[in-house]
Amino acid sequence: MKKHLQVLLGLLVVSSLLLVACGGTPAANTAAPGEATTAPEEPSGPVEVRWFVGLGAGAQPEQLAGQEEVVAAFNEAHDDIELVLEIVQNDVASDTLSTQIAAGNAPDIVGPVGVEGSNLFTGLFADLQPLIDSSGYDLSVYDPATVEFYREPSGALTGLPFAVYPSFIYYNTTLFDEAGLEYPPHSVGDPYVMPDGTEVDWDYDTLREIGMLLTVDASGNDATNEDFDPANIVQFGYHTQFTDARGEATQFGAASFVDGSGNAVIPDNWRAYFNFTNEAVWTDYWQPNNTYLNSDLLLAGNAFGSGNAAMAAIHLWCHGCYSGADFDIAVMPAYNGEVTAKLHADTFKIMDSSANKEAAFTVLSYLLDEGAPTLLIAYGGMPARQSLQADYFSTLDDAHEQQIDWDVAIEMLGYPDNPNHQSNMPNFARATERINEFQSLWRGTAGVDIDAELDALQTDLQAIFDEAN
Amino acid sequence: MAISERVFGSFRRKPKEPRGRLTNLERHETRWGLLFLSPWIIGFLVFILLPTLATLVFSFTDFNILHVEDTRFIWFDNYTRMLNDPIVTQSLVRTLKFFVMAFPLAIIIPIAISALLNSENLRFRRLFATLFYMPYMVPLVSAVLIWGGFLNPATGWMNKFLGSIGIQGPDWLQSTTWVYWALLIVGLWSNGNAIITTLAGMESVPRELFEAAKIEGAGAIATFMNVTLPMVSPIIFYNLTLASIGLFQYFLEPYVLFAQAGDPGGSTLFYPMYLFQNFFQFQEMAYGASLAWVLFLIILAFTAVWFGLRRFWVYEAERE
Repeated sequence: MKKHLQVLLGLLVVSSLLLVACGGTPAANTAAPGEATTAPEEPSGPVEVRWFVGLGAGAQPEQLAGQEEVVAAFNEAHDDIELVLEIVQNDVASDTLSTQIAAGNAPDIVGPVGVEGSNLFTGLFADLQPLIDSSGYDLSVYDPATVEFYREPSGALTGLPFAVYPSFIYYNTTLFDEAGLEYPPHSVGDPYVMPDGTEVDWDYDTLREIGMLLTVDASGNDATNEDFDPANIVQFGYHTQFTDARGEATQFGAASFVDGSGNAVIPDNWRAYFNFTNEAVWTDYWQPNNTYLNSDLLLAGNAFGSGNAAMAAIHLWCHGCYSGADFDIAVMPAYNGEVTAKLHADTFKIMDSSANKEAAFTVLSYLLDEGAPTLLIAYGGMPARQSLQADYFSTLDDAHEQQIDWDVAIEMLGYPDNPNHQSNMPNFARATERINEFQSLWRGTAGVDIDAELDALQTDLQAIFDEAN
Repeated sequence: MAISERVFGSFRRKPKEPRGRLTNLERHETRWGLLFLSPWIIGFLVFILLPTLATLVFSFTDFNILHVEDTRFIWFDNYTRMLNDPIVTQSLVRTLKFFVMAFPLAIIIPIAISALLNSENLRFRRLFATLFYMPYMVPLVSAVLIWGGFLNPATGWMNKFLGSIGIQGPDWLQSTTWVYWALLIVGLWSNGNAIITTLAGMESVPRELFEAAKIEGAGAIATFMNVTLPMVSPIIFYNLTLASIGLFQYFLEPYVLFAQAGDPGGSTLFYPMYLFQNFFQFQEMAYGASLAWVLFLIILAFTAVWFGLRRFWVYEAERE
């Protein structure tokens, strides 16, 4: 009996191995990842182009209809190409795409995807320049600077401008009114009027002053009051929402943890930011620590959406984060006289492994042109093309009855962070993890020696960067 | 002669008869049995054994999921790298520290609660047993999220309750010390399965044994130590083995509470979390596979030790 079982098991193992070994992949997908596959010589029907959504926006239920509408319209207008939509939830999108790439089954187009979402797949996207040249695609509709934003250090142009999301300050008008404070300025260079009528520069010192007045404990004391109880805060003055340490520090000016030689560096302005904000969180209490951020009071991270944060620096894509109508937007404050409004930018990219690059470029052009108005509304993105912006904001006005001053968003586009706060780093995932650890440490723990921790961060990042080289 | 020996004397089983050649009927039944088992066997081979062996092979390569074509064998380099990776040591020490804290509680508390539930003097025993078991039926992810809110020092009910009786509650989830106690509380709350299995074991102890112990003059504690515990020792062994494996694979609670970050200050970056990071965040599949195999060997060693020690304390009627 034992011998028979051994024989049976042996046969099963061998047959399974043979099945796995002989299974193979469809002929069209046998090329190695990163290598273009050969297109079928005589396609029997329309060329299939797979569009992978999930690395950025697009997987939310309310965004599906718009995308499906664009796909249907494209397929109706094109007999020779069939566009197939693949939607993957954001939290598993990177893993899913990686697996597809490893299996030689990568999609043709991915997006919308931002800078950070693309970093993991650097080098795997097609250079669009030859396709632009051969198709005669008109680039003059874009600001040349926004086109160059998508050019890789290698010179490859891997995207074209589609949606931009400038950042600015959302402020809760009810909380400002309750505190008897003037609203923050709507134009760069305008002063802020303090309660005593004096006009001061709109900078981070001013932000701190009004932030403390807008931070209130359960007894109604603000953070400037000596009876203020930091253990029972019910309203915060300010929060830099939904971003990481690099995004936060960019408020004090664009910089990078990587210098021109690829070494780890802690920029002086970022060091100043972390010290400033550490004091704001743990000494002056006008910005929330991790305990408050993770609590119901601040909707577990959506501080502005909770209605219990008077101001928050967030991108345009968060215009629906707060359901109330009592908010407006203001410009970012200046640091050392310079205003920086970090920018998010989404686009679509063609995978270099695509066997149908020309068909994929036809689709990409459609998404950027005819399909753009529908998609931009679905994603909440501001059109990179100026010609589409008026219609876009008119649609947003329908969603926000209080008539938000969208000129602020347009003005903030003129102060982007360069280098971008999401730009690539050597050994990107490990470096990001280490930076996040630093962020969670000082936001979660009182009394952290910021300078010492930043020095430790630099040492660790150097080791992580060296590992990649 | 010890009480347990005198009490158990009459419950020894007869030794099994040696097995001879299979009859035709037995061979026929075996063939059919294997046929019915074959879907499971095939599933096991294809979906468990082969992927497991694949990870072993990966662990000797520099497999990169985005550049599969460049894969080559680097043999023990990933394992050597582990020796020089400080996070491996730190996460392993952290896992062992939590093991030392949680393991005794994971075993003793189910025994204590089961003993209470098994008491003849307790009213509504079934109700209490159901209440203790119910948390086990709640999906763990939901439970952990609810606990995260419950333990939040700013708005959670735990500290509000402690505050109402004059105690300043700690920062459960942001303190590098208290976070382990928070995780222990969450773990014990959902330990209903161990309670129910231990209780079932206690309820199945033959009444004659207790009567015999009583006749021998044993008190409640002596009866519990010499009759109840030995009789449920196979179940304790079962729970102990599962607890060991579970604690070395401890992942879900810190993952849900701190979203892969190992907060606060890396204190919940347990070994399985670091393994997960390497696989899915850093996409270093080969290194992750090496970490997984080392974890497997550690768990295997611990389990082997438990099995080796079993004959010294686990009552097995067959062996008796």
